[in-house]
Amino acid sequence: MAAMAKAMQPAHAGELEDPRENLLYDPRPRSEMNDMVMDAMQTAGWKFWVVTIVLALFVLIGLFGVWGYLILNGMGVAGVTRPIYWGAFLVDVVFWIGISHAGAFVSALLRVFKTGFHHAITRVAEFMAVFGIIQAGLSVFFHMGRVWLFYWMIPIPNERGIWPDFHSPLMWDFMAITTYMIVSTLYLILPLIPDLAMARDRSTGWRKKLYRILALGFRGTEGDWKHLRAAIKIFSFAMIPVMVSVTTVVSWDFALATRAGWSSTVFGPFFVIGAFHSGVAALVVILVLIRSTMKNMKYFIRPETLDALGKLMLIISMVWAYFYFNDYMVPWYGGDSLERLVLKFHETGPFAWMFYSMLIFNAVIPWALLWNKKIRRMPWVMFTIGLLIVVGMWFERFLIVPGTLTISTDPFTWRVYQISWVEISLTLGTLAFFALLYLIVSRFLPFISPWEVQEGQASHTIRKVGKATLPSASEID
Amino acid sequence: MTTQTKIPETSIGQSTAGQGKWGMVIDQDMCTGCQACVAACVMENNISFVGEDDLAYGRGMHWIRIERFWQGDFPKVSSSFQPMLCQQCGHAPCEPVCPVYASVQSAAEEINLQVYNRCVGTRYCANNCPYQVRTFNWRDYTRPEPLNNQLNPDVTVRRMGVMEKCTFCIQRINAVEDKAASENRQIKDGEMVPACAQACPAYAITFGRIDDPNSKVSQKARDGRGFMALEELGTLPRVTYLKGGSSHGSNG
Amino acid sequence: MSDATTLLALFQDVDPAADAIEKLREMGLSNDQMNVVSGIPFQEEILGRPIVRTHVPRIALGGAIAGFAIAVFLIWGVPLLYPLYVGGQPMFPIPPLLVLGFELIMLGMLTSAFLGVFIDSRFPSYEPALYAPEVSDGKIALFFDCPADKQVKFKEAMKSLGAESVRMVEAQEL
Repeated sequence: MAAMAKAMQPAHAGELEDPRENLLYDPRPRSEMNDMVMDAMQTAGWKFWVVTIVLALFVLIGLFGVWGYLILNGMGVAGVTRPIYWGAFLVDVVFWIGISHAGAFVSALLRVFKTGFHHAITRVAEFMAVFGIIQAGLSVFFHMGRVWLFYWMIPIPNERGIWPDFHSPLMWDFMAITTYMIVSTLYLILPLIPDLAMARDRSTGWRKKLYRILALGFRGTEGDWKHLRAAIKIFSFAMIPVMVSVTTVVSWDFALATRAGWSSTVFGPFFVIGAFHSGVAALVVILVLIRSTMKNMKYFIRPETLDALGKLMLIISMVWAYFYFNDYMVPWYGGDSLERLVLKFHETGPFAWMFYSMLIFNAVIPWALLWNKKIRRMPWVMFTIGLLIVVGMWFERFLIVPGTLTISTDPFTWRVYQISWVEISLTLGTLAFFALLYLIVSRFLPFISPWEVQEGQASHTIRKVGKATLPSASEID
Repeated sequence: MTTQTKIPETSIGQSTAGQGKWGMVIDQDMCTGCQACVAACVMENNISFVGEDDLAYGRGMHWIRIERFWQGDFPKVSSSFQPMLCQQCGHAPCEPVCPVYASVQSAAEEINLQVYNRCVGTRYCANNCPYQVRTFNWRDYTRPEPLNNQLNPDVTVRRMGVMEKCTFCIQRINAVEDKAASENRQIKDGEMVPACAQACPAYAITFGRIDDPNSKVSQKARDGRGFMALEELGTLPRVTYLKGGSSHGSNG
Repeated sequence: MSDATTLLALFQDVDPAADAIEKLREMGLSNDQMNVVSGIPFQEEILGRPIVRTHVPRIALGGAIAGFAIAVFLIWGVPLLYPLYVGGQPMFPIPPLLVLGFELIMLGMLTSAFLGVFIDSRFPSYEPALYAPEVSDGKIALFFDCPADKQVKFKEAMKSLGAESVRMVEAQEL
């Protein structure tokens, strides 16, 4: 098969690419893939440990230390005031929810549609979902004035004689985020079980003890696989509406408020697509980093994966621009003076540089570059584009939360938000914590799912059609 | 003069503008902007002093404030001002958004309660108030000696992380109702006076029962100069402003 | 049963394994006496095995209904217990019921599906079981009972169909 593909000379250069560039048409024995994955888990250079320790210190001091300072001294140390009662913390909440949701969504959607490039990236995407929602939860706790009483929002029997109020979008938010936290973790665990069984079979010492417990006695019997795959199928289909609904419920925190610039009916889908935009971009950033720093990952994470994700990024960027324009056009044309003022403030106020950067990073640069296949296959270019989109989406959320709150219905109270060092430190702290979780987990959980890669490779072959040899996929599911 | 009024059934959910139990009329043509009401409210309700820096950043905690607007360019500058306080809306946007039931409607007094003990400080209520009259305890503010002797024992002192707002001096409402109940009579019109109305030297603030059509406040609310702030939002405020000329602020 | 032993035949590819299963059936074994353990899932039709029934979808449905019931309690039961007016909204609102109902249906359905895997597969089980570590290297392991006197015959049959190795096994700790 390999010889046939190699011998194939296309009539016009570049017309038919060598299908073996694609992971699924370049199979290696499962034992070799297992070796690569185990090796990647157990090998780390000194640079890895330096970065981990630096991040851990920053998380300890810059995140938890500063959070303690915030709790002791009150919200006054943050930049929030009347009328901008919500500031950078809420920006972080929406930002991390966006990134987290795209992780689960990419994993689920690609599984549902049986795309060819999901096998190598689902685990990394699922990690992104779980680690991202942890940061979102932390950011929610940051913004609460009396966070030590957060448990009053948990609807369980209590001795206080009252339950939380489910008229409030914040309670729907609470339930939705909790739902998402639980199901994304479960969605991570299910396909991980066979990989833990593989690790169990190939480890010794404390690792073997750990994997033996975590693998739950999974063997790979027909029953094992049947039940597991039934559950994974249910999860894959259900994750998509869960993702859409949780992002929409978060958007309703803003849309259901009576503020100019917030009270917009398009916020639901707008936030959903914003989540995809920042999330797929973040996934590309993470994949490029893993590919270039982790051993053996270059076999699994290939330029063709980035190519496919780049096409997805381009489409999402266009849909984002469509929804953003919807949200812009209606108040611009509509004539409500406050709404027009909000737009004017965004375009000409002190945050105008964020507005234009956002448009350039989120729309102009992707549209200018991502249509080109060569660019989509260049890892570090994709990394840069992805990073710029992530930054642009943070700016977008900043404009939505503190940017819009400046213009309240009472002009006497208008005030421009001034971000404080506490909020900057905690925002960077969540970023560091996110990266740190990846680094820690890389030591004992496989970043690639060899059983899924093998399954994909088993159903993809290269066969002769007429004079050409073409890749073909069969559905063995 | 005693008025015998039958207290009507609670009509929460079906109320319209001007309905409810307690209401206020502020006559802007009489108001001099002297801020005596602000000072009285601070003293009555143990409101904290936030310091110069915090106040400049908008963190002042006054439950009633005199808002001043400038119009025009020099030399044709004019100013207008309006006392702004919690409108005790019938359909309060601040109430449904609290996740822990800290801002609820009082069925008995038909005003908006803020339960300090219950507040966890998410500040959604403050974001949702179109009048921006809710204030938040951004820090633990201290009262240096001998200012702490001025505290009103009928009102709690709020810690950091808790939202607060004008309560129509509910401690005084309760005291007056208790007294009337113990004397087996109804409350007289004019007996219940909140701190701001009591302090106003121009008698610009009138307070009383708006469900009694003969009370002073109901009669004043029927004045042709009457308007309600941001009425078009449908919040059903209980405060009526009286102002001659244009009803939306500018005084020509 | 006392003279029946369990043999393990390891296969690299699907086709020889499917042929071997058919051969075993020809040699008189029933489906119950065979067990296939593999490193990746294979549809039952590929190997010619009887369809396995799974209860996971039904458990998930039960979880979905339970989730909705909890949502109804939270949106309509709590105001019944603690009637507090907020903002002129109805005491028993419908749109929040739809929102929370959807979220809790999903939560109930997915957590039950997850637990269904545990229930159906009897996880976690750390008892000794029939297993071959080669399975996680992608091989297909065919465990079958065979009477002690026919061992050699079965071994030869498996080897002739392409088994990498055939050996006697007992339940082992994983």
